[in-house]
Amino acid sequence: MSLQVFFLLVFGGAAVWFGIVVFLTHSMVRSALALLFSQTAIGAMFLVMQAEFLGVLQIMMMATEMSIMAIFMVMFMMDPGGLGEMDMKHQRKTSLAAGLVAFFGALAVAVFADWGPVATDIPDAGEQVRLLGFELLGRSMLIFESAGLTILTAMIAATAVAVQARERKPKP
Amino acid sequence: MSMELIVALSMGAALFGTGVYGALSQTNLVMIMMGIELILAAALVNLVAFWRYLHPDAMEAQMFLLIVMTVMAVEMAVGFGVAIARFRSRGSVEMEEAQELKG
Repeated sequence: MSLQVFFLLVFGGAAVWFGIVVFLTHSMVRSALALLFSQTAIGAMFLVMQAEFLGVLQIMMMATEMSIMAIFMVMFMMDPGGLGEMDMKHQRKTSLAAGLVAFFGALAVAVFADWGPVATDIPDAGEQVRLLGFELLGRSMLIFESAGLTILTAMIAATAVAVQARERKPKP
Repeated sequence: MSMELIVALSMGAALFGTGVYGALSQTNLVMIMMGIELILAAALVNLVAFWRYLHPDAMEAQMFLLIVMTVMAVEMAVGFGVAIARFRSRGSVEMEEAQELKG
């Protein structure tokens, strides 16, 4: 077993385990933290696969995102600490069956598909960032700009939806 | 066939299955969003694996990954916007209590 396979198993296993813990624990804060650890382990998998820039980006972005999520969960949940052990699940059997079908279906494709020859040489970290920069500001610029515009639109839309509507004063 | 690729894709498959279970089984809007985040995270793992082991010279894969990350951020922003609006009007984000949204 190569070192890369070993670390992929370790970090991948951690990502999956913490992903499962998200839905096992009754505490919402623990759920958010488990998702944070899961996403961080995924970032570590990117680093193992030599995608350094994306790995660091994933860890930094998800650390921020999950911290915000934890605050929202504490705000919105009736029992954020999970002390009352409220049951917040429904259609358990159907969900479990759907999850298992999704897992085994994707696993079968991963194992039985013919992926062709595997690449051995990859650009180093600095070269990757340079090439990605050329890709983003060259051929894929329109897509990149569209993504930025989509985020801006989503921010405005989310704020518009969330802001409480003011009651208009009746005209005298 | 590369063992590394299969391991990475298998982890992606496990994350996908976990996310599907979470998104379908939870009654709380924020928890459903967590399931969707896991599904998208599985897509990220697969994209990086395909880039690294099949086409390391094609930077479109990394660009596509940035787009998926954008989708994750947009999903969070809009989801929380809807959650705040729902919480203000009904005092809860439990989807069991949102029967009126049924078509």
